[in-house]
Amino acid sequence: MLRSENPTRPATIEELLSSELIGKISHLDVSSRKIFAGKLKGERRSKKRGESVEFADHRPYATGDDLRHIDWNIYARLDRFFMKLFMEEEDLSLHIVIDASASADCGEPNKFYYMQQVAMSLGYIGLLNLNRVAVTAVGMRDELVLAGGDQSIAGNIRDLRGRRRTHDLARFLCSMTPEGGTDFGQACKRIAMTRRGKGVMIVLSDFLMKEGYETGLRMLVGRGYDVFAIQVLSPQEVEPDIAGDLQLRDVEDGDMAEVTISAPLLKKYKENLSAYCQELRDFCARREITGLTIQSDTPIDTLLVEYLRKRGLLR
Amino acid sequence: MIWATPMLAGLVAAIAVPSLVILYFLKLRRIPREVSSTLLWKKAIQDLQANAPFQRLRRNLLLFLQLIILGLILLALAQPRSTATASAGRKLVILIDRSASMRAVDGETARSTPITRLEVAKERAIRLVEGLASPSLFEEADKADEAMVIAFDRSAEIVSQFTSDKQSLINAINGIVQTDGPSTIEEAYRLAQSQRPNRVFIDTGPTGEGTDPVEIEGIKGGDAYFFHLFSDGKISDLDVVRADEDVAEAPSFEYHAVGDASSVSVGLTALRAERDYEDPTKLSVFVGVQSTDPNPRSVDAELLVGGAVVSVRPVVLEGAEVDEQTGTREASSGGVVFELNEPDGVVVGVRLATGFGEADLDVLDTDNRGTLIVPPAKQSTVALVTTGSLFLQEALRGLSISDLQIMTPAQYETMREAGDAGAIDLFVFDRTMPKAGDGGVVFDPGRYLVVGDVYTGPGGVVDQGDGPGTQIINWRRTHPLLRDLTLDAVVIGKSRTIEIPEGSELVSLAETTEGPAIVEMSTGDVRAVMVGFDPAFSNWPFDVSFVVFLASAVDYLGTQVGVDVDVNARQITPGFVLADRVPTDAGNIRVKLPDGSMSGEVIAAPDGRIVYGPIRETGVYSVQWNGSAGASDVKDDGKVLRFYAANLLDAPESDLGTSEVLDLSNRVVSASGQGEITRLKEWWPWLLIGALGVMMFEWWIYNRKVYL
Repeated sequence: MLRSENPTRPATIEELLSSELIGKISHLDVSSRKIFAGKLKGERRSKKRGESVEFADHRPYATGDDLRHIDWNIYARLDRFFMKLFMEEEDLSLHIVIDASASADCGEPNKFYYMQQVAMSLGYIGLLNLNRVAVTAVGMRDELVLAGGDQSIAGNIRDLRGRRRTHDLARFLCSMTPEGGTDFGQACKRIAMTRRGKGVMIVLSDFLMKEGYETGLRMLVGRGYDVFAIQVLSPQEVEPDIAGDLQLRDVEDGDMAEVTISAPLLKKYKENLSAYCQELRDFCARREITGLTIQSDTPIDTLLVEYLRKRGLLR
Repeated sequence: MIWATPMLAGLVAAIAVPSLVILYFLKLRRIPREVSSTLLWKKAIQDLQANAPFQRLRRNLLLFLQLIILGLILLALAQPRSTATASAGRKLVILIDRSASMRAVDGETARSTPITRLEVAKERAIRLVEGLASPSLFEEADKADEAMVIAFDRSAEIVSQFTSDKQSLINAINGIVQTDGPSTIEEAYRLAQSQRPNRVFIDTGPTGEGTDPVEIEGIKGGDAYFFHLFSDGKISDLDVVRADEDVAEAPSFEYHAVGDASSVSVGLTALRAERDYEDPTKLSVFVGVQSTDPNPRSVDAELLVGGAVVSVRPVVLEGAEVDEQTGTREASSGGVVFELNEPDGVVVGVRLATGFGEADLDVLDTDNRGTLIVPPAKQSTVALVTTGSLFLQEALRGLSISDLQIMTPAQYETMREAGDAGAIDLFVFDRTMPKAGDGGVVFDPGRYLVVGDVYTGPGGVVDQGDGPGTQIINWRRTHPLLRDLTLDAVVIGKSRTIEIPEGSELVSLAETTEGPAIVEMSTGDVRAVMVGFDPAFSNWPFDVSFVVFLASAVDYLGTQVGVDVDVNARQITPGFVLADRVPTDAGNIRVKLPDGSMSGEVIAAPDGRIVYGPIRETGVYSVQWNGSAGASDVKDDGKVLRFYAANLLDAPESDLGTSEVLDLSNRVVSASGQGEITRLKEWWPWLLIGALGVMMFEWWIYNRKVYL
């Protein structure tokens, strides 16, 4: 809940992705409930018919078709030309959106560090399986980070493919610092606009946004992504450990709340929090978004191996 | 409800209440904390505030509690007191009767264990004290009530001087000890009045200029005293008390009656032992019993000798006469006589066995017991030293003295030289005197009756020879020697003119127109009565008073203290002092009390006179000393003991019905309601305790609000 006093700022890939974790997640692959068209040849079934070994369909021959794909067995039986169509396998686009606002820089363990680790792990899995990986950090910045971009985007890296790009991904994640506010809707709009192609999109955030997360998520779903919303909360946000007469200051917008911590107030807070999370999950369920709330003290491998597999993001 | 210091409290309130409110607004210094989002917190606060029924109250609950605390403290500061009649600054005199009748156990019948009237009186006096206006904390002290406590029986004692310190008053009241004395109020009343200043008069005169103030002794001025008498009303001399005018509806004399008007008691009112004159080994014990029970009673009187019951006699008592109109009772009385043969000195006790099976019918135990110290039977030996007069010889013979010796002066001198004179109790010298012995000593230690001669040596009279014929015109009618006779008819033919030198210890017992006729000389060891004139030259021997005089003289001189003891002389009444003579060589004189404790050393006067007391309780007292013993004294382990018995034997004290009214000299005071004493109750301690309670409640609320 409170801003971390000495937040962990990872500097090396080892801090984001321990070799122990690599061993646990190397066999995983990113999956999607939807089938998307890819860009390059890959390991993913594509919507397109292509050149894999897997049979897909037949269709009548048309002049100009490749003669190598005529099904001669059908011709022998029916005396007509039919073309054999095969499944095409292409790569999958994995887009990870990470919340780099000041609110993420809170809690013990630090939420942003946790999100960095999750993003790194997922990105690594994607790279390992020859998927296209993109990472976007959202968060209001005073000046434009990317030329032609938007102030609501704090950083962006795209079109990573293959295990060689793991270090590029790690370097990018390490360079991110959580600060400033968010304009989630604007950021999502930007992402949706600049995004080419379709695929899996994982949104890592605490979703504690005063302006609301609905517009942004709707924007992403509307573009046809398979969206996973992972809400990361610190244990202190779930079980507040503060007491006394306090002046609570919002780290993002400096908003003040004067509270006298009391048992009824804490009870009310917890009720509100669970209602808020439930609301998020309901919203996601209605829009085929997979929602998940996780505490930042949950081990990464538990999250990846158990929770995300159960929800079909990984397999 | 009265407020002792309302202005002060108002002033403090005017400052403190706004201060608290301001402080409360300034007070809350919240600790800043940065959180990831205030979103949920704001919602939670809004929810709570929206749900709270009394939002303002809820928000300022602590302020409200603090205001309550402050209010309670301010109320306490105003020192509220509740009572109807509270005129502060009174001077109260609390008189507590501690006499024998207050030992009755009908004090409060409602209790499981009966307690004495004195205990009840103390409790009620303490309640009265607790209800006094105490000095307020801030105002001048003279607005407080002051009280003085006097405990009295026959004597009175100031147990606490005027003070407003309730605790010391209560301690003084609790320290009052029951006595067995009769009750008289005079001394107590005078003690109280002596505390008041004399009234001062200033004569302004016609010019209007004041003279010096004149204090008038006996007329008391100053503040009015409010008397509170805690008693059962059995006080014999209430007419000495003059109640002041009532001041401001507060009665100046309140009588708090203790006990029950219908209480009955059977008690000893008289106890006397007599030895037979002819046969002194015969002892008669006369017991007088009184009953205030309206019903006839028969009680057993037990006679105890040396602690063992030797005889039991029933005493039948008629019912007391009750006057239906006034409710007063006339106690019935009865008596019994025990006869026993007892030549030795004994302690005779009489006990009334009352209340068998009806214990509550006799509420006082003290008057059911009595003790007599009976000395051994002693026959007095009288020696008549005469040259041969008929009158005295015959008169003494007629007195049936057990051992009468008649001797000539020469025989007396022989006997004196041989040192045998001590065996004779009384020497009667008929117109002669002992010769001056060694060092001019005329009288050896002993008792002497000298008729027709006087002692003119050192300390003696001045003899101026024969005088004219005369008559006895005055005599000490109270003296034991003369109280039974009249000397009006005595005509003296030839008198003797004697003078008593100034500063002499001689006492004239009877006087003629010419001067003293009968003189008593009393020094440490010698007691002599000298009749100056010769009865042969008067008509006295033919008068009956002559024989009576001789009998009294034998009785008085022959059996007086130090030689023999009257059977009843060793009785003392509680409330009075024990006064007696001990041998002049007695040292380390102490009195042993009935409870076994020893008094401090009693210092005897040069002539052996001792005074101890006043006696507080009934029972057997003994005076002990080292030295020579008197005839009736007991020697024990090198010490000499002389016993005394203190008995109540007081009919008014034994009449235990509580008086409803008191007859004072100027009005009649009725008993005020039982225990209904207006109390001045201080509320401020409760208010402070309430404030403390609210503060603890606030602390609890605060903790509940902050922590889980």
